[in-house]
Parts: sequence; structure tokens; C-alpha cells
Amino acid sequence: MRARKFDVFPYLLLLPAVLMMLAVNLTPIVQGLYMSLLKLNQYTLSQYLDAPFIGLENYRRVLLESHSPIRAGLGFAIRNTALYTLVVSVLAIVIGLGVAVLLNRDFRGKGLARTLLLLPWVVPSYVVGTLWGFMWQRDVGIVNTVLVDWLHLLDERPFWLLGSNSFWAIVIPTVWRAWPVMMLIFLAALQAIPEDQYEAATLDGVSKWKQFLHITLPTLKPVIVIQFMFQVIDNVYSYNIVSMMFGNGAGHPGEWADLLMPLLTRQSFSYWLFGQGAAVSFVMMVLMLLFVGIWMASFKRSMISEE
Amino acid sequence: MKISLNKTIAALLAASTLSMAAQTASAAELNMWVMADTTQQQQDMKDLLAPYLAKNPSLRVNVTVLNWESAWNKITAAAASGQGPDILELGTTWVSAIASMGALEPLSDQQQNEVGGAKAFFPVLWGTTHRYNDSKIYALPWYLDARGAFYRTDVFKKAGINPKDAFTNWTSFKQAMQKINGMTVDGKKIAALGYPGKNDWNVVHNLAPWIWNAGGDFLSADKMHSAINSPESLQAITYYTSFAAEGLVPAAALEKDATQIESGFFNGQYAVIFSGPWVLRQLNTPKAKGGQMETLAAHNFGIAPYPAGLKGNQSYVSGSDLAIMKSSKNKAEAWKLLSYLTSHDAELTYSKMSSMLPPRLDAAYDPSLMANPNYAALVSVVKNGRHYPSIAAWGPLESVYLKNFGNMFDIVAGVKGKYSAQALKQALDGAAAEANDVLGETN
Repeated sequence: MRARKFDVFPYLLLLPAVLMMLAVNLTPIVQGLYMSLLKLNQYTLSQYLDAPFIGLENYRRVLLESHSPIRAGLGFAIRNTALYTLVVSVLAIVIGLGVAVLLNRDFRGKGLARTLLLLPWVVPSYVVGTLWGFMWQRDVGIVNTVLVDWLHLLDERPFWLLGSNSFWAIVIPTVWRAWPVMMLIFLAALQAIPEDQYEAATLDGVSKWKQFLHITLPTLKPVIVIQFMFQVIDNVYSYNIVSMMFGNGAGHPGEWADLLMPLLTRQSFSYWLFGQGAAVSFVMMVLMLLFVGIWMASFKRSMISEE
Repeated sequence: MKISLNKTIAALLAASTLSMAAQTASAAELNMWVMADTTQQQQDMKDLLAPYLAKNPSLRVNVTVLNWESAWNKITAAAASGQGPDILELGTTWVSAIASMGALEPLSDQQQNEVGGAKAFFPVLWGTTHRYNDSKIYALPWYLDARGAFYRTDVFKKAGINPKDAFTNWTSFKQAMQKINGMTVDGKKIAALGYPGKNDWNVVHNLAPWIWNAGGDFLSADKMHSAINSPESLQAITYYTSFAAEGLVPAAALEKDATQIESGFFNGQYAVIFSGPWVLRQLNTPKAKGGQMETLAAHNFGIAPYPAGLKGNQSYVSGSDLAIMKSSKNKAEAWKLLSYLTSHDAELTYSKMSSMLPPRLDAAYDPSLMANPNYAALVSVVKNGRHYPSIAAWGPLESVYLKNFGNMFDIVAGVKGKYSAQALKQALDGAAAEANDVLGETN
């Protein structure tokens, strides 16, 4: 094979986009990294990037010192964020995939059904937070009215916005809003699977469930892998629903509904610890990059070989 | 040299066209930031400024309305960058913080005298215009928020309780609430008291007078340490939360915010709530204009001060101040406008727009306002009003308390362990430790 001549043209076409990416992504990241090395608080904020340079002190305080104010409640927030991300991501994908499989056939009103099912995704997340905040109310909320008054599933009206139930109070609306878009993507992927594969399987007497396990799932694997990654990124950085459901950002979600992003916002902005806040953000970014790197690396080979 | 030459030429030019000069010389533009204090802030500001602008036809005032939720971030950004408006509204607890950033222009003695100085305003609000250990004045009081008890006169009458006795002290208040709780009024069972738990930004304000009246405080005398876990504070918080623990405040109230609690009072769910002047306005405003004047509550309510504790009968007072930013390019015009806005007439007009009280004494006691006995009752609360300490770190500290008090209400609601004085003490110890960490960080 003859070595191709190096062609500059495509790189020239890419250049504006690359420059733009550097400007809007890399600049804030570098600035954030630099901020995390400064003593940036209420008294030094007006100096901004000229604030006293303290090296890795912010990282020491955040990672090693238990009395650092920014760490108060951090343990709860990490636990909640991990559980929340796992539960929401898995549920959104399972429900999205299940409904996509059900919708992937011909029936009357198919278009209407797909449109209606997409509705939750269209609602902005802060509206979801506010609305569900009302729905979860113990005495007048629709959730308890349905569970207790109509279905008699529970004897007593539970609190949803106080105590450990508040974890579910943030998980359920997030799933409710997240699965429709999963469904849409899986539906598109399902339609790319050739029908004759299923026909051949049916002729061989393979059950629908086995067809799903041995044809649908393996074909969709690359899509699932990518969607799971996006879900994890989305949910680790989740903010709106928690913030709106518990006092429009003014209240406190408590030990079971506080996530990393609301905590970080609250404790770096309202405690005026911008340098430490930047340090926590940077640690989070590195962890997230690690996750994405490992996740992609472990699936890359299988994804490529199947394509 | 070049500049002065230019100036000379400009002056000559201006002098030659005298009629134009008269306009350009006084032509000025001021930028002003205010919060959404009224339901139609932009229009109300226009009306408020109209008499002043009529006398100063060449002045232009650009008003920007900020939401309370986002105002803090915008103002700190302006203070940090030195690019902000000429005049800005500051919550009374914010003045010290913004002043400590070096963003506010101090007012001279002469300026203070022009508007009447300290003696023209309620002392509690004047205290918010400077840092507690610094005599430099950075702002002037604009309006005042005073809190008191709103109670149902018909319910107290039916229970055979004299409200004056009920609001005398903690013991009499508890007894009255026990007697009233569960009474049937207008065909409905009424709860004695309503207050929000954690999902509200008023949680710290709601607890403050009880803590003070027990002799407790948020900060030690030297303002260096938290005092929230002192025996006095614990006693106050135990007393306050006991109303919820004993069912005198319905458990469901604890997940509500202040607005929902207020509408509960208007609908006859609670016989007593503790709130501020905006509730008074709603009770005096017809439904057609978004008020509650037609409700049973509006026909049968009174206002009382907080019941006295062992160490006092103070109430929580706050509000907003107006300040000139150091970065202002037109401080002389800004000062003239500021002195107009804090004048008797302007504060009176603004209090009618915002439903808050005027902090200027002659406006607060204006006969047109005092004609309403409920207003008079609310103003009388201000005499014993108290504000948080004017320290730069109050903002972070209030956030710590808000968060920890919020968590405490999980205990009170019975969804996080057993409610007991010991559990509260443990929660307060945690709050104090976190507050001390924050103080150590910002001091």
C-alpha cells in the first residue's frame, strides 16, 4: 500500500471548531484549576486570580482535613449521589429499553403513543422539581392521595420530603423524566436491526425472550454502553430537581436527598470558599474522566468487533 | 496638560452655547439595582422616582430589578469586579459582607446629618448600616421587616382566652395553644400553631426571637465562636420544637414553606402564625387584587409580640438598606437620589408599595399608617426588635444554621431517630462545630 500524502485541508476545516472547543472548554478548566490553588474567599474575591497562591493547600483541606467546612455532609452527599446515579441510570435504561421494545411494532396510534410518552422529557427539570415537590406533600399531595386514599396500599400517610424517603422523592421524578429519551434512542436502534434475524429465529422455534436476549441485547450493546455513560455523567452532575424540590435552593434537602452538586454550590458559594469549591470540582472532574476512560476502554474492543 | 487644555476648550464651547450647556452640565445617568420587593417592582420604582425626576428633568435613572434568589451572586460579582450600579439595595444582613469587600462608599458625617442621622431611624435598623465594630456608615435603611404573631381573635374568644395573657410568656402561650388545638371553627378542626420546618429560607429567622428571649445567641460575645449549643439556645429550641413534637403544630406543616403556612392561616388551618408585614397587607387586600380580605381570618385577626422568655421579649427585625458603590462615577448625583429615597415621603410611599414598614421614625409613625390598629401593633414590635450581629461572615453562618436547623426538623418530624432534648443537643453541637469551622475559615 502506498503511503498517502499528508493532506492539510481537513485539518484546516477542523481548526475553527478546535479553537472554539479550546476557548469554551479548556479556558474555564484551566482557570478552575488555577482557582483551586488560590486562597479565594470573600475578602480576596475582588482580587480574583491575583488572590494569594497557596499551592495544594485547598486540596489538603478538602481531602485530608475532617474539619474543613466544605466537607460537612460530604459523606452523605457522596453516598446519595452514588446510589442515585446507579438507581436512576439503571431504571431509566431498563424502562426505556422495555418500552422501546413494546413500541417497536405496528399498532394503531403508534405515532401518538410515542409522542405522548416523550412528554416527561420535554418538561424542564426545574419544573419537574417544583411540581413533584407539591405532589410529594404528605397531607395534600397526589402521591399519598393515590397510595393511601384510593389504593389503600399504606395505612399511614408517609412523609416523602422528610427523612430517608426523600431519597426516593428525588429518584422517581428523575427516572420519570429520563427514561423517555432513552426509549427514543433505543427505538431508533431497534429499527436498525434487520427483521429477518427475528424471522429466522422464530422459524427455528426460539422464544421471544430468547430472541431478546440473543439478538436484541447484543445488537444494542454499544448503544446501552454509551447511554449508561451519559446517564452517569448526567446524574452525578444533577442539581435542578433537588434544588427546586427543597425550598427553591433556600432550604436543605437533608441527609438523604443532598447530592454532590447542590452541596458543592451551597458550600462554596454561600460559605464563600471558592478556592476549596474549585478544588472539589477538580477532583470530581478527574474522577469522572477516570470513569469515562475505564468504561470506554473496557467496552471498546467488543463494540468495535461487533460493528 | 493635554487634558486640561481639552477641558478648557470644552468649557469655552459650553459657555458659548449657554442654553445647551445648562442641559448637558446637569445631564446625568444613574444605575440602580433593587430587588423584587413589590409585585410590580419596575412600575412601582417608576412611580416612586416620578416626583424626584420631575424636579430633575435631565436625570435618567435606570432601574434593574433582581430576584432575591439571584441577587446575592450578582451583587458579590459586582462588588468583586468593581463594575456595578451607582446605587444598590442590600438585605440588612449583607451590608457588612459587601462593605468588607471594599465595594461600598462610606457616608460622611455631613451626609448622615442631611438625612437626620442615627436618631431619625429605628436604632435596630441603623445598626445594620455599619459593621458592629466599625463606626463608618455604608448604607441607609430603606424598609423594615418586623415579625410578630398573627392570631385569630374569634378562636381565642371561643376558647375563652385573653390574647394579651396568652402572649405574655412561654408558659401562658403553651397553655393557650393546648387549649385551642383541635377546636372546631367554622365547621373545621383548627390547629393551634403553624410554622415551616426545613424547606424554607425563614427557618433561622423563625427561631431567632425564641433563642434571644431565652438568653441564647448565635454567636459568642466576641463574635468569634458559635453559641448555638449553649444551654439557653437549647432550651429555646426545645421549647419551639415541642409545639410540633406535641402535635400543636401539625406534622405536615414541617415540610411546607412559609407561603404555604401563610395560606394555611388564611384558610383557617392554624389559629396562630408568626410572620411579617406582607401577611398584614394580604389580609387588608381584596381577593380581586390578589389579597385575602374576604376570608374569615381577615375579619378576625390581631397582631401580638412574641411571648416573653426568661431573658427578654425581643422580636426579629430585618429589612433592606440602600448603598452607594465605590465604583460609582457619579457619587454626587447618587447621594442626592439616595437622600430622596430615604426621605419621609419616599419611604412612606415605598412602604405602601412593598407592604414593609418605613425604618424612618417620622414615616413609620405617620398618621396615615397608624390609623390601622394592626399596623400600629406591628410597629410597636419594632421597639423590642433585634437584628443579627453585623459581621461580614453572617451570610455563611446563616447558611450553616439554616442547613442544620433543617436537619433538626427531621428529628422533630420523627423520621430520623427519637425526638428528645438529647438528640437536639447533639444536632446543635454539630451545628456549632460546623459554624466554628466556617468562622475559622472566614475570620
